[in-house]
Amino acid sequence: MTFQAIYTLTDLRAVLRETAPSHELDADQRAQAQRLLDNLKQQVASLKQEMLR
Amino acid sequence: MKCGAGIEARQVDELFINIDPIQAGGRLTADAMKAVIAYGDGYSVCDNCRKPNRLDYISKPPIAEFHKDMAAWLNMDTVRTVPGARRGFQAVAHTYVHKGDPVLLTSLSHYTEFLAVEEAGGIAREIPVDADHKVTPDATATKIEEVQREFGRVPVLAFIDHVDYQYGNMHDVKAIAKVAHENDIPVLYNGAYTVGILPVDGKDLGVDFVVGSGHKSMAAPAPSGVLATTAERAAEVFRTTTIVGDVTNRKFGIKEPEMMGCTLMGATLIGLMASFPHVKERVKHFDRELENHAIVMGALLAIEGTKCLSEYPRKHTMTRVDTTASFDTVAEAHRKRGFYLSSALGERGVTGLIPGATKTWKFNTYGTTKKQAMHLADAFIAIATENGLPFKR
Repeated sequence: MTFQAIYTLTDLRAVLRETAPSHELDADQRAQAQRLLDNLKQQVASLKQEMLR
Repeated sequence: MKCGAGIEARQVDELFINIDPIQAGGRLTADAMKAVIAYGDGYSVCDNCRKPNRLDYISKPPIAEFHKDMAAWLNMDTVRTVPGARRGFQAVAHTYVHKGDPVLLTSLSHYTEFLAVEEAGGIAREIPVDADHKVTPDATATKIEEVQREFGRVPVLAFIDHVDYQYGNMHDVKAIAKVAHENDIPVLYNGAYTVGILPVDGKDLGVDFVVGSGHKSMAAPAPSGVLATTAERAAEVFRTTTIVGDVTNRKFGIKEPEMMGCTLMGATLIGLMASFPHVKERVKHFDRELENHAIVMGALLAIEGTKCLSEYPRKHTMTRVDTTASFDTVAEAHRKRGFYLSSALGERGVTGLIPGATKTWKFNTYGTTKKQAMHLADAFIAIATENGLPFKR
């Protein structure tokens, strides 16, 4: 689970690199970022559940 | 944001378009970043190392398969990973060059090629370049004749850079290798700026060795690289150990002295491997890279007085320009002197130009998107406009 979250952040990092320096995302990039951020939220929630049970 | 005591997290490529000539092709892919996170521990790739206990035999992670794939991709017979292209030069020089041997380099050879020759005790003899900063087959033939007259024998090895680091010019390696081979001189192809950037076919080029740089051109962490050879040369460079301890009678299996046993044993190798599928794909689209580069070059050359010192039209994305008659004319009166250009670029989200450089400088647009290339072009024009430099629209 930790890797999943770190890797999702890494994919977000790649979006930042691809869109530097303005970080103005086109429609596809925005959809990708949205999907990654949604996944990240779920992954962090699962981590919280697993580690703090 | 710190990633260790006193170590600031590096966010250069997240915040800027980085045109540093040596950094562009080594920028990690997302997969390489992920692999490095998982395999950062020291001997991380050695969990499943079994007899005969050598890196290129490990099948999990698929290191053995990677070596085979890499050799096939370069159209060579054998590959080893090395800690940087320079270690590839060193292994080859140490195998073939002995004290006092002449070795063929070029006037544009990288310093590490010289050091590899020096360490082996060789004597450097450079093929001069022509007026266009190109190494030609004719100049190669002439230099071989000169060496033969001077030493009474031909050079024992030739180092030829396909794309040189000074101008990013592309040299006719195939024709040069033919001349060298006619004189029985083995040829090392320095692909530090090509392997991982554009297609490279070692057999078609007719070379004995192909050296690539992982951190310069294969989206891999430093220090990493590859040394590929023909089957004939593999037996020489990758010969196995024969040494025996006199007290313990120990022998060391199939370890290779030139490789000092195993080479890349963790994050460097795994980063190189993780980027490899992306690298194989990206070399097929080098034309797009040249298109993006042309956008930036178009803008630079539109600024009156700017000259391209590299061959033109460009065949590579790393280029040397002369802005003595354009950007440098502003430097003397500017309150930031020569630093104004890198500073102004920084304000526009561009980094990688040597601070203070306004006369001759290199840049590399490899890996930029079209949008980023246009941003770069606009940035140069805007800086010219801001400083009263005329440009052609």
